[in-house]
Amino acid sequence: MASSRRKSDPKPSTAPSTDSAGELDALLDAAVDAIIVIDERGHIEKFSRAAERMFGYTEREILGQNISKLMPGDYRSRHDDYLDRYRSTGEAHIIGVGREAHASRKDGSVFPCELAVGRVSDPTHQRFVGIVRDISARKAAAEKLRRSEAALQLAQQVAGIGNYVVHLDGSEPDYYSPQILAMLNLKPDAEPVSPEEYLNHWVHQGDVARLRSALRSVNTGSDSFDIEYRVILLDGSIRHLHHLVQVLRDESGKAIKHVGTVHDVTDRRRAEDEARQMQDRLTHFSRLSTMGEMAAGLAHEINQPLTAIATYAQASQRLLGQPDHDDADIAAALEQINAQALRAGEVIRRLRAFVKNREVKREPIDCARLLDDLSTLAETDARLHNVQLRIEVGEKLPLVHADPIQLQQVILNLVRNAIDAMLGIVDGEREVVLAARLTPQGEVEFSVADRGPGLAPGAVEHIFNPFFTTKATGTGLGLAISRSIVRAHAGRLWHTPNAGSGLIFHFTLPVNPASQGRSEE
Amino acid sequence: MIKDSKPTVFVVDDDAAVRDSLRMLLKSVGLPVEVFESGQDFLDSQRDERPGCLVLDIRMPGMSGLELQAKLNEKHSILPVIFITGHGDVPMAVEAMQAGAVDFIQKPFRDQDLLDRINQGLEKDASSRRMLAECNMIRKRLESLTPREREVLDLVVAGKANKVIAGDLNLSQRTVEIHRARVMEKMEAHSLAHLVRMVLAVEQPGD
Repeated sequence: MASSRRKSDPKPSTAPSTDSAGELDALLDAAVDAIIVIDERGHIEKFSRAAERMFGYTEREILGQNISKLMPGDYRSRHDDYLDRYRSTGEAHIIGVGREAHASRKDGSVFPCELAVGRVSDPTHQRFVGIVRDISARKAAAEKLRRSEAALQLAQQVAGIGNYVVHLDGSEPDYYSPQILAMLNLKPDAEPVSPEEYLNHWVHQGDVARLRSALRSVNTGSDSFDIEYRVILLDGSIRHLHHLVQVLRDESGKAIKHVGTVHDVTDRRRAEDEARQMQDRLTHFSRLSTMGEMAAGLAHEINQPLTAIATYAQASQRLLGQPDHDDADIAAALEQINAQALRAGEVIRRLRAFVKNREVKREPIDCARLLDDLSTLAETDARLHNVQLRIEVGEKLPLVHADPIQLQQVILNLVRNAIDAMLGIVDGEREVVLAARLTPQGEVEFSVADRGPGLAPGAVEHIFNPFFTTKATGTGLGLAISRSIVRAHAGRLWHTPNAGSGLIFHFTLPVNPASQGRSEE
Repeated sequence: MIKDSKPTVFVVDDDAAVRDSLRMLLKSVGLPVEVFESGQDFLDSQRDERPGCLVLDIRMPGMSGLELQAKLNEKHSILPVIFITGHGDVPMAVEAMQAGAVDFIQKPFRDQDLLDRINQGLEKDASSRRMLAECNMIRKRLESLTPREREVLDLVVAGKANKVIAGDLNLSQRTVEIHRARVMEKMEAHSLAHLVRMVLAVEQPGD
């Protein structure tokens, strides 16, 4: 019954007709899909070339075998049941429908396939024709797509990024990623918010105009915009969104779709705000700490005039009690008392100006005057540590645009470091040179040079790191804050070796634009 | 050694106003005063051998007050030192006291407090100078003894009886008695106790 033939064999007599059988064979072999013919018991009668390739059997070795041989274990028994049911009831579930199934190759591997089954009836017996299409590549691609979509969604969720596509020509429905809705605190199945509604009810009042004009700009020629604005969610909370839009156009230049990305940058914004506040607090703290280091020196500085005042006054009282005293002595003492009181007041005034925590305020600053103002603090500190402080101010320095208190803080900090660097020097020069000059590039450069041992090799790369210190009682903030202050003023802070020994710290400040080409008065 | 100079208050302070006001105060109470701008100036002036006392600022550029005190100690100066200190210099003041300072006083101070301390310093200086003079006198007397008399003196001070001394030195008891009488006479001792006290006064500090 089973037609045991090779394709090259002469056509068996059981075949319908020589011509049509040859045509059928050719047709079957040309088909891309595997075609298998079985009899009503499930024995294989025909096995096309494509089937040979797909399953790894030759026709010769598979002919006459039960079709269940091509099925993975759990299908086999069920298939016999299907055939039995069909034979007894004439009820077929698969015929003419086609479905996805799994098939088993000769080597035992299983692959997904699409299976269509047809019935060929002739008077003597029934046959079934199965057409099998290997869909493993399609399945793999679909799985890959599903995975990458899941990965994208996860990434969007983690990064707080959502994307959308608006088809301006209506060719496809608009797309909004779930993360966009989540960002606005909406349920995944919520209706997308229309642009007009978004502008009117979601975007912060203060930002509407900007976003509106950005949206207008892409309709009038611009290909993209990049904007940050605030939205107010239904619960009243404010989120900061970074919104990028790219317009895609057809060959004629007509906009066909908007591809947009929305990034929730609220946390970054908050972190930045917090960092800024932290920086302000640290700056203040560092100033206080520098103050603390200088406190002993300042107490001394204020004590000196107070001591002189008290002593002059007491001596004058004693003299007044003596009948033969000279009024000129007392007059001289009173003059001294006056001068010393003013001296004490001046120290306190400078101290107060330095310690006060206040808003940063940039103003035109006369460098010579600034250095003169801080010289009391710096010189006291130097003197008490047995260090010579020399201040060299170049002539006709232009005004710089800076916050005077912050600028003083940077200079005092560098002077303090320079003094500290030389405490260990027993013999030899203990001198700090504080200088200000105009560079050829038209910036004002301040420098603080010491004669200390310089930097240890390991310290060089860390000296600007916060909390790095080489001092026993240092905070490790001085240089870090000094550098951030100088940078905030659009200047640079760096160091070079001092000729001979020691270190020089330099920093530059841009010249106040208004004073360019003008000399100080 | 200049013997007859009047006790003087020496002031060393780097601050001109403090220096000048102290000079005025001390003059107003009739104390001779000399002021110096730095520790080095004071050392160069050789005034530390003169009677008086030193009022010394503890914090000064160049040679600090403590360094000057150390230099004076090296020279075995007996000049009393009163430190004037700023606020927060207590650890330094403690160090100064351990190095033999008479006292310290915080700036700014009441004039009477400073004057009291200066007077104490001057008294201390006078008494240590008296003691020093006495020691010098005792040393001179000791130097006038013959070697044999010195031997007898040492044994007498060690508390030995004449008979034991005679045995130790291989002399007759009579001879020891004669030496002992000469020693008492040369040392101008009123009693054995007085003699012992004098010898201990000069020999105790590691002479």
